[in-house]
Order: sequence, then structure tokens, then C-alpha cells
Amino acid sequence: MTHTLENARAVAHANRSVLLNKANVVATGVGYKVRRGEKSDTLCVVCSVERKLSPSELRDEERIPPEVDGLPTDVVETGPIRALQSTTGRFRPAPGGVSVGHRDITAGTLGCVVFRDGQPYILSNNHVLANSNAANIGDPILQPGPYDGGRLPDDRIAVLSDFVPIEFEGAPSGCGVAGNVVGVLNKLAEWAGSDTRLQAVSVQARENRVDAAIARPLEDGDVSKEILHIGPVKGMGQGELGMAVKKCGRTTGFTQGEIQQIDVSVKVQYGGGRVALFVDQLMAGAMSRGGDSGSAVLDDSDRLVGLLFAGSDSSTVINRIENVFSALNLSL
Amino acid sequence: MKRILRLISMTVTLAAGFATGACEMGSSIQQVKAQHEAELMAIPGVVSVGIGNNGKGEPVIVVGVEQEGEETLSAIPRSLSGYPVEVRPIGKIVTH
Repeated sequence: MTHTLENARAVAHANRSVLLNKANVVATGVGYKVRRGEKSDTLCVVCSVERKLSPSELRDEERIPPEVDGLPTDVVETGPIRALQSTTGRFRPAPGGVSVGHRDITAGTLGCVVFRDGQPYILSNNHVLANSNAANIGDPILQPGPYDGGRLPDDRIAVLSDFVPIEFEGAPSGCGVAGNVVGVLNKLAEWAGSDTRLQAVSVQARENRVDAAIARPLEDGDVSKEILHIGPVKGMGQGELGMAVKKCGRTTGFTQGEIQQIDVSVKVQYGGGRVALFVDQLMAGAMSRGGDSGSAVLDDSDRLVGLLFAGSDSSTVINRIENVFSALNLSL
Repeated sequence: MKRILRLISMTVTLAAGFATGACEMGSSIQQVKAQHEAELMAIPGVVSVGIGNNGKGEPVIVVGVEQEGEETLSAIPRSLSGYPVEVRPIGKIVTH
């Protein structure tokens, strides 16, 4: 007996609850029956199961009948079906790969949980957790970040504990000698009647290796050692040329790429005309956009190799994780 | 006497020349990149300098440029101490 689509839908609907009540069935629907990998033109009720079992492993009442009300059935294995979780939502415990941020920024990504002196911390970028040097230790960190609706006090997940300051190009020099020389020159300029005055700036660009910060969770149970869509971190690795890498970030979710350059020196724009020179970076192709900063970067074996922090339409810039861990005295 | 002195000085010059050449040939790509990095980064339009592979899988010095402007391209050497220099347009690098 051939069924019209309308008829097949009615049959599927009528038998839905009986089929869904069977152990292992996670979904039912109407589709074309697949025979030996080939789609046929026979309509059927498709029963999706977590795992296909042989009839001998099932009790009679758990078996899916070959047909219901004259309509054939088909069994396909889909694994467990979970809601696709948005990275911008509120998570407790919060895994790596989701929105996070200092109260004065938009939003970045929670990289992963790291340890210092046996205590767990959230790892992300300075420009995510410490507002590019502008924050104070103890400032509240929100999950999700403010742009994604994170508000004080309900969404506070951690407090800023430590960060590696970013050295910007052309920033006023902290060098006393330069300051004194400039002072003398300005006095001379004054004496000579010149209106031009000098300002001490660092001509030699200062080198950064990491854009990194850590925050102490208010409750240890508020953070998870897993990374969304990836799972637990399985140790440390070293980024190498040609290595396949992946990350989960707040904006683009799970993406993969390849390390195309190592030993990279790169000028990074921080907004407001601020530029910072970074050395010893890894560069991958396009695998990130604004909001993904702070993502943990892992290799094929789920080993941590880097901390994502910058990029363009065609490239992604990643701190080496060994530099991050040594700068902040961290372990996994 | 003069001739002998001239001969010695020529020998020294030649030996020094070979030594420099050999040293350059023996430099690793990392050393060559480190040596020329500051001058490459100072070229307007250059945003990055790194080490990558070319299409044949050979190591190259990669110079990232914001865009392929003529002035920027003409200022970048084709090779450094025997290592090819590859220019890649990568745009402006901003925090993500």
C-alpha cells in the first residue's frame, strides 16, 4: 500500500507517543525509507535512536515494529540529541567557549579553567577581563559579558585576580632619563622662544608576548573544566607550523583552522589609536571574529596550545600557551 | 715587500669575504628573520613578519601587509640571505 504524504503524516502523528515511549528512541518523523544506503521513494516513519541495537538485545515491547498502520518504519542512529547551546547565554557552571567580560567591556570568551597554587581561575585576555590595563584587581567579571545581557550583581561569576599589562607603542615613557632629557630640551626651547615642546615617548617599540588575565571564581562550582563543543582539555601542547587547531568562541562558536605561521611579530590595533607589538605569536587562517578573544586553542588531541586574542578577515593571532602559563605562573 | 703585503691583505680580504658568505649561508631562517625584522616592520603598510611555508612546503619569511600597495610591495625584498620572502595581504589586525 502506498501512502500519500498527508496520510503518512497522520499515521506518524497517531503513533508518535507510542514510538517515543520506547527506550532508545529520541525522535520520530516522516521521511523516505533508505535501503542499503540508497534513498527510495517509499514514505515511512523515521525513528531516530541513540544507538542501533540488534532485536535480540531488546525486549519485545522495546522493538520498533516493521510498520505502523501499514506505513513502513525506518530506524536511523543519531546519537543523543541536545539543544545547540548558545555561547552568549548564562551558564552555571560556565564551561570554556562562552561569553564573559569585565563589567566595562562588551564581551569576550572564557578560555578555560587553569590553576595557580591549587586554586581554579578563569583564563582569558587582558582586554576581556582587565579592560586593556584599565581595570583594578578585584573588579567584577560577568558571565555572560555585558553586551550579552550580563548584569551586576546577578551575573557576577568571578573577580579579576591578575593580568599581564600590555605595552602600547608610543605610550608615554616611564624612563626617567628620557623624561629628564626632554625636560632640559624643553627648557632650552622655552629660552629660545620656540613654541614647540617635546614629549617623552618610547621610540623603540616594546614587545608583548601575551594578552592574558585570570579571574578567581566566586564559587569553584560556578566554572567547569570542559570547553563547550570540545570537552575537557587533555594536557598541554606546542603550536607548530601546519598544525590543525580548533576553538570554541563566543561569536563564531566551534571553528577549526591551521597554524600557517610561527615566530610571528605583529602590530595589533587596540582601538582609540592604540597599537601594541606582539612577538612569538602563532598565526592561523580565518577562524575568529570580534567576541572570540580569549578562546582556548587546542590541537587534534585536545591539548591546549594557545590563547586567541586578535585577527583580521583572513587571519587569527594566537599567544603561545607556554608564554601565557609562564607569565602568570599557571598550570592545568 | 710591498707585493707581499698586498698579497697578504688580498688573502685576508678574500678569507673574510668567504667567512661572511659562509656565515650567511649557515644562518637559520629564524636568525635571518630576527636580523631583518625591525627594518621590515618599519615599512609603512607592513603589519607582521613570521615564518611559514610556501606552496612547495619550503620555509619562507612571510611579510603580512595591510593591503598590496605598490609602495609597500616595492620596499619589501624578494629574498633575505637566500630565504624567499613571501608577501601575504592580511588586512588590519585588531583585537577580537
